[in-house]
Amino acid sequence: MIWLMIGLMTLVIFASRYLFLEPRLPVRLGKNAQQFLSYSAPAVLTAIFAPIVFVREEQLMLSVDNPYLVCAVVATGLALWTRNTLLTTVLSMGLFFVLH
Amino acid sequence: MTTLTQMQHDSLNDKLRAFLQGTLAVLPLTIAVIPWGILAGSIAVDAGLNPLQSQAMSAFVFAGAAQLVALGMIKAGVGLGSIILTTLLITSRHLLYSMALRNKISPLPFKWRATLGFLLTDELFAIANQGDQHQFDRWHALGGGLSFYISWNLASLAGIVAGQNIENIADWGLDFAIAATFIALVVPAIKKRSTLICVLVSLVSAVVFELFQVSGGLLIAALLGMTSGYFYALLTQEKVTQEEVTQEKATGEEENGADS
Repeated sequence: MIWLMIGLMTLVIFASRYLFLEPRLPVRLGKNAQQFLSYSAPAVLTAIFAPIVFVREEQLMLSVDNPYLVCAVVATGLALWTRNTLLTTVLSMGLFFVLH
Repeated sequence: MTTLTQMQHDSLNDKLRAFLQGTLAVLPLTIAVIPWGILAGSIAVDAGLNPLQSQAMSAFVFAGAAQLVALGMIKAGVGLGSIILTTLLITSRHLLYSMALRNKISPLPFKWRATLGFLLTDELFAIANQGDQHQFDRWHALGGGLSFYISWNLASLAGIVAGQNIENIADWGLDFAIAATFIALVVPAIKKRSTLICVLVSLVSAVVFELFQVSGGLLIAALLGMTSGYFYALLTQEKVTQEEVTQEKATGEEENGADS
């Protein structure tokens, strides 16, 4: 069952990553489609991280007692001011492990 | 005339240099993914996978978010069908990434397409979709993707070893690494108001769906964000950035040459 799951997940995920890289797939992307897709990465990544930051134990936690939220705000600030990915991730993660 | 060209390297030295530059470009993310990999490895052991299965999951599936969600479902005793369906939803964003990189990667030989396709994570997409839109350097992308893959698997191994020996790794808050990484990727990408709208809509709706435990909430939230950003730009006639103008021209080139 576990091996079957690993095999199926591998297939599904590889297929999703490869599908549109296949030149024989008769798809052309118009200007509007490209424009729409330019929002995919920020939208998807935000939809993944937002619940981690704001929702603790199935409750909305908008409080300074929520280290996820505090450190996410710090990370956002660092990303805005430094534009440096390494500094942003390392400093905010360091602060998180101190607070947590 | 602007064309989308493929960067060609003549000497092994140039290939190696591009490979190392790609490795360096993705290095912050390679480091940031370590806690996340440890989490994936330790949770796999916790969910009842043996060490070989745990490592195989990171080696073959190679998708952090999908792995963590699937492992959570195994622990909760959910059936295989639901796990695969959820995987399909979580991985759907990769369809968008491969569409966005279609112009750059589809002209390459199969071994390159398959390799870069396999390595196409959020992190590699962020790197590959930045910078000079005229040229795509396969060695640069390979360096970024492969070093990230190795880091993910070594971190998973560490998590598997730790998971067998240390209790309650899941309570260490390693999942903050996911948030830190994605914030570091998303914030610098917000260069115009429509992207900000897209991110805010996606953020609020993802939180609301999570609170109401809507299945497929991630996918719906992302699509809502994308639609909001798209229509905001359309209705306000937002100026496109230089990057997109170049991409547009590149698309035109591909369409002109597609029948040849």
